[in-house]
Amino acid sequence: MAELTVRYFAAAAEATGTEQETVELPEPALLGALQDLLVERYGDPMRRILRSGSFLVGGVVRRDRDHPVSGTVDVLPPFAGG
Amino acid sequence: MRADARPAVLAAIRSTPITVEEVAAFVGSPADGAVVTFAGVVRNHDGGRPVTALEYQAHPDAEQFLTEICARLAAESGLRVAATHRVGRLAIGEVALAAAVAAPHRAEAFAACAELVDRIKAEVPIWKRQRFAGGDSEWVGL
Repeated sequence: MAELTVRYFAAAAEATGTEQETVELPEPALLGALQDLLVERYGDPMRRILRSGSFLVGGVVRRDRDHPVSGTVDVLPPFAGG
Repeated sequence: MRADARPAVLAAIRSTPITVEEVAAFVGSPADGAVVTFAGVVRNHDGGRPVTALEYQAHPDAEQFLTEICARLAAESGLRVAATHRVGRLAIGEVALAAAVAAPHRAEAFAACAELVDRIKAEVPIWKRQRFAGGDSEWVGL
């Protein structure tokens, strides 16, 4: 199993009730599996966030389910600056 | 001709008030005949509902994203570029985003400033919660 630190911001922190947690994913750990786990764990609010949201992996915004994940991954709700 | 050795871009995220004058002053130079600025201002309605305030939150790396966007556009266009974004609780009429581009002529300054604002809105990890007159609130964009 791969151990990940997942950080939550804004609406994602509200949906989870936490700003950070550790999750385990089967190897090879992919973004899609993390996405599925989060939706399973946090339900519709998380589904809504991830529908147009993204992840920060290694300093780069990612959306592709096949992208490998390790270390720390940030859950980014849809951006709303400006 | 540019003889100055000032930094190429100004990009900042902060919780204190921001102004377009600041970004305009940064980009302006004697070689530029056009300075286009944009102020993103908190408005009092959204989707037909009265809004009383906005709260902005930024990812810890947001300023780095903003800097990269400004630097990339400056490199692509050869123009001077600046943008600041405010975070925290903002009242109606306060400036949330200030952007400026200077160019020798207006057409390229208008185009580059519009592109800058589009990229900032699409690519910088910043979130806002709007508070409605009824006391409830929601995250924008969900």
